[in-house]
Amino acid sequence: MSHSGTGPVVSFENVSKHYGSLKAVDGLSLELRRGETVALLGPNGAGKSTSLDMLLALRKPTAGRILMFGKDPYHAVKSGSVGAMLQSGGLMPEVTVRELVTLVAGLHPRPVPVDTTMRRAGIADIADQRVDRISGGQTQRVRFALAIAGECDLIVLDEPTAAMDVETRQRFWSSMREEVAEGKTLLFATHYLEEADQAADRILVINRGRLLADGSPEDIKKRAGAKRMSFRLPGADEATLLGLPGVVSLETRHDLVHIQTEDSDATLYAVLDAGYRPSEIEVGSLGLEQAFLAITAEDDRANGAEPAAAAH
Amino acid sequence: MRGILLLTRAEINRLRRNRRYLIFTVGLPVVLYLIFSKAGKTVYGIDFAAYYMVAMATFGAFAGALNGNAIRISEERKVGWIRQLRLTPLPAYAYVIAKILTSMALTAVSVTVVLLLGRFEGGVHLAIGQWLVIAVVVWLGSTIFAALAVAVGYRYPPDQAQPITLMLYLVFSILGGIWFPFTGVLGNISKGTPTFEAITISTDVISNVSVPFYLIVGLVAWLAVFAALATLSVRSMAETV
Repeated sequence: MSHSGTGPVVSFENVSKHYGSLKAVDGLSLELRRGETVALLGPNGAGKSTSLDMLLALRKPTAGRILMFGKDPYHAVKSGSVGAMLQSGGLMPEVTVRELVTLVAGLHPRPVPVDTTMRRAGIADIADQRVDRISGGQTQRVRFALAIAGECDLIVLDEPTAAMDVETRQRFWSSMREEVAEGKTLLFATHYLEEADQAADRILVINRGRLLADGSPEDIKKRAGAKRMSFRLPGADEATLLGLPGVVSLETRHDLVHIQTEDSDATLYAVLDAGYRPSEIEVGSLGLEQAFLAITAEDDRANGAEPAAAAH
Repeated sequence: MRGILLLTRAEINRLRRNRRYLIFTVGLPVVLYLIFSKAGKTVYGIDFAAYYMVAMATFGAFAGALNGNAIRISEERKVGWIRQLRLTPLPAYAYVIAKILTSMALTAVSVTVVLLLGRFEGGVHLAIGQWLVIAVVVWLGSTIFAALAVAVGYRYPPDQAQPITLMLYLVFSILGGIWFPFTGVLGNISKGTPTFEAITISTDVISNVSVPFYLIVGLVAWLAVFAALATLSVRSMAETV
């Protein structure tokens, strides 16, 4: 590891990126520490890709400062400290997979043996095929191979498993865990909340270019109102139920009531104390996906806007 | 520097496999020379076989530099390869440098082939110094079109880069007097094109007259203008590649 300092691997200091009147990223501040696996979550248009583009020196912030390993992003990328895979990245046509991986490895100050990279990315079997004649999933794996073709300290991945089938995705994450076990820092943007829940030890939720939540998957779930509760209650009065202790949000369909609550016990006792006798009571934990939707929807309501598109 | 050479080598390997490109840069001038080099007696006061050799060498060089780069760059920008390269430790300008080096390497081949053809098929006899000057002028002249190709490839998406390249190709080959010489007003316009300037410098060298200074200035000016355009294109597209 060339990075031996104790400072943050990545820091965003009040970073903004404006396109005319559109604030794609709006005063984003965050730090990534060494060895962390961090998921970047947000609906479409939340500013995830723009943030990653700025981190990788593809775009310049309108305001604020980004540092990677204490250097400006361009020099950090050029020193080979970061391996990255973006959705918008493409491959050089008319060459074989092996030729391409060999080329990119050769550009690195600390190249990984080409065979190792191809094995890790699961593309050893297509080594001699031309990159413009392979499938979408295979292309995705080749792009991943290019990201890990050199020894690096930070890996940045934008929707890495988007075109992968379930089996490939599992293999991908097991090879990713190997990389992280070596002390690398991993930052990935994803639409698969389940994936973020399983793979990340820290989740950043962004919406409208701002950081809404930052914490472990458990923290995020807690923050959104940790429990969901449902029961049947004919003739329930929504206003009364919304006023009960702990209730964050409520949804009724015919006589079926869905409640999100910060304190399921208190809410349930209050329902009973109010004289209701609901049937088919179910209480469960909120998944990360619902937590994510709750956090971003709350933010959208606070901004007086229609909730942005859901994560899928 | 090592990175740029690695990328250049990969680029050369790609182009060597590209039949369409080889036909345009090497095949077409060779075939045309074989067919037409005996079609005339003299032109511009020199043997037609010598004139046509210079015209075809210039044609292969400029067509190769233009066709080999403009559309490819545009396509590579579209598929995201330029973006991918920017995520590697390769410096930002390396991609363009490698494209120009690649173009020069392949142009050197096509110029050499046509000049050899002139010598052994067309019976053109020149002093070694004359051969060298002609080869170098035509070869370096092709960088003008490599720069133009970079400007077009960065600025326009493939569906626009294609017709624009074709138009430039026709304008500079026809107006440049590669197919037939112009007279009158068109002749004066023709004299301002880099293709004409490269051909005229070469024919002057062949007829052993001193090369007018303005022709050299003209070539350098074209290079400066297109290099500036290329730089502007690359800079303005920096956030959208």
